[in-house]
Amino acid sequence: METEFPTLSLVEGSLKINMAKIIGIDLGTTNSAVAVMEGGAPKMVPTAEGRNLIPSVVEPKKNLVGDIAKRQMVLNPQNTIYSVKRLMGRKISDKETKKQSENSAYKIVAGKDDLAVVEVEGAKYTPQEISAKILQKAKADAEAYLGEKVEKAVITVPAYFNDAQRQATKQAGEIAGLKVERIINEPTAAALAYGLEKKKAHTIAVYDLGGGTFDISVLELGDNVYEVKATNGDTFLGGDDFDQRIIDFIADSFKKEHGIDLKADKQALQRIKDAAEKAKIELSSSQESEINQPFITQSKDGQPLHLTMKITRAQLEKLVDDLIAKTMGPVKACLKDAKLAPKDIDEVVLVGGQTRMPKVQQVVKEFFGKEPNKSVNPDEVVAIGAAIQAGVLMGDVTDVLLLDVTPLTLGIETLGGVSTPLIERNTTIPTSKSQVFSTAADNQTSVEVNVLQGERPMATDNKSLGRFILDGIPPSPRGVPQVEVTFDLDANGILNVSAKDKATGKEQKITIKGSTGLSEEEVKTMTQEAEKHAEEDKLKKAAVEARNQADTLIFTAEKTLKDAGDKVKKEDKEAVETKIKALKDIMDSGSKDELEAKTKDLSEALQKVGAAMYEKPEEPKTDEKKPDDKAKAQEGEVVEE
Amino acid sequence: MTSPKTGNQALAQLKRVMADYDNFKKRVVKDQLEFAKFAGKELIIKLLPVLDDLERAEAHVKDAGLSLAIKHLREVLSAEGVSELELLGKTYDPTLAEATESVDGPKNQVVEVTKKGYKLNDMILRPAQVKVGNGVSNPEPGRRVSKN
Repeated sequence: METEFPTLSLVEGSLKINMAKIIGIDLGTTNSAVAVMEGGAPKMVPTAEGRNLIPSVVEPKKNLVGDIAKRQMVLNPQNTIYSVKRLMGRKISDKETKKQSENSAYKIVAGKDDLAVVEVEGAKYTPQEISAKILQKAKADAEAYLGEKVEKAVITVPAYFNDAQRQATKQAGEIAGLKVERIINEPTAAALAYGLEKKKAHTIAVYDLGGGTFDISVLELGDNVYEVKATNGDTFLGGDDFDQRIIDFIADSFKKEHGIDLKADKQALQRIKDAAEKAKIELSSSQESEINQPFITQSKDGQPLHLTMKITRAQLEKLVDDLIAKTMGPVKACLKDAKLAPKDIDEVVLVGGQTRMPKVQQVVKEFFGKEPNKSVNPDEVVAIGAAIQAGVLMGDVTDVLLLDVTPLTLGIETLGGVSTPLIERNTTIPTSKSQVFSTAADNQTSVEVNVLQGERPMATDNKSLGRFILDGIPPSPRGVPQVEVTFDLDANGILNVSAKDKATGKEQKITIKGSTGLSEEEVKTMTQEAEKHAEEDKLKKAAVEARNQADTLIFTAEKTLKDAGDKVKKEDKEAVETKIKALKDIMDSGSKDELEAKTKDLSEALQKVGAAMYEKPEEPKTDEKKPDDKAKAQEGEVVEE
Repeated sequence: MTSPKTGNQALAQLKRVMADYDNFKKRVVKDQLEFAKFAGKELIIKLLPVLDDLERAEAHVKDAGLSLAIKHLREVLSAEGVSELELLGKTYDPTLAEATESVDGPKNQVVEVTKKGYKLNDMILRPAQVKVGNGVSNPEPGRRVSKN
């Protein structure tokens, strides 16, 4: 093989390695998350527990990780390690280490080189080893999800992590059996998730308000890579503090009303916590949330008491006003360090679950004077950015054949000037689609295929890309001929439309170049037009449909009378004929409602004819009604009721 | 003519896309099965707190009508494959329940269920909340044992 393709062997080798998936991991203080590129797009990896987040909690003795470790924390506080990220690469004498030591039930002691390690039942674990357990779970979940081995990862770290901390994170990956392809900064990952480097956003600010920490970073686009210009933050400020405010508010209100401290009752407190979280989430989308926890406790005389109260968004905003204000200090300091003014920032990105709160978004927007990027789930945006970085390393993002989509719907014009879609907008190309159409009139020998582009339901409102005529269709009743129309849209946006009469095999085609080659502006205009006219278009189309339906029924009625001949009672026949005329009279001028009413009249009269015919048992009838059944039509056997 | 390298890259990309697609198809089948099995999951999860409330009410107002209504609701849930996790008196298992308190009682045993846990077929729908024994025995009638 080597002699045959000597120059290819290296390429071949490197490609093989590239085939393996690299996962992106957001190794967080409170929660971690995993994402992976799939078919060119980032996707969150669900955990074995069916969630998108792994609580960063580990019980190393029993080897419990995530939700399961978190659930048993109360029973086993000395052995349950959380927020170990705060200890990564830190010395025992560091201020951070001391602070964490005061706040945690597990033991933090000095290990090798005076580095902080945790001690569980006499055994020492480095923060790397604990983090490795989380990464191992991330790896296992990803393997279960992807159905293939995962051996490489991109892991994110806070922008302020120093070399030792980054090294420790890398080691954690290696202990977990993951080759760490790259360590990237969390704010950089968030920027990648929004594709800001492609937009050439020069200077960006990332506002990250997570569960327990707040980080602000200013990044500058260097040589196609974002570099951290300045960071700041508060390591003990986050969404948990917001939750606590709501819990306190609920408990205080209840105490004021009933004189009972719910916080003293652990079970009641648990229910308040759940209710507070629910209220917080609800108030991000609505103005008011109702808290409703019946039988939360008992009064002194044994009567059941219920917790019912309303909390408004304005109330919540007042409760946490100072917490939000507290984030702005570090934001200002960070900008000062970066020697920038708020107006110098090109893009602002929101990260962390607490940034879902409208008030937080508003404060950030007011400070920077621009709408922040917030469309990506703020709990997942860092992992998604890590996956995108992983994709770049795999060659998935930069080199991949970017599959195009057709920006506008492609279709043809059908009876009554309706635009019938064949390829819907946003369909990935290359693609092809066929559909069978028929004639609208008896003995129609040709059909015109008008190829349309656009979102509007009526043909005239869309752009005609071209038209052609297929003729030589054998004369037959309407609805009988079968004309197969095929749209084939290739990867370059070249559209081949063909129409083929299935009976004769006769075919006509047209090739339309540049069917997708619209400017972004054109697509936008056309889509907006469609949205703007959606209502009136719907009415217009409904009117045409009513007209088409009326037309079909008139056709059926006339045919029925003709076929039935003298088997129909005279008065029934006259009734139908009157109704046909009534419907024909308003055919062009009638409104949708009028058409529908008259169509209904005719339909009812026609049913009477059908029913009357059944009453004659000596005349066997088939109840099949298949005007479009060609074989039967040719044999002249179709009997209409 | 494309260079050999480009050709190979294109081939690798094609293989990857095809593999992605193939895996995607497999997962769609799997997801659909899961979906059918757990289609009502989200709704049931939202209904569980209502059942909790009704049960609390039942404990307070001993009313036969209310009990019948609760029984009816339980039957509906049961027909959908929902069953309560039986945890009381068993060894604590963090995959099934969150421990909210450590109290006197047999070591590592579920002493009290404060919020019922439920599963839908084989999947944990909602882990329970339980109190777990700390190994300090409760004084029992006729016998007082205290050990630490």
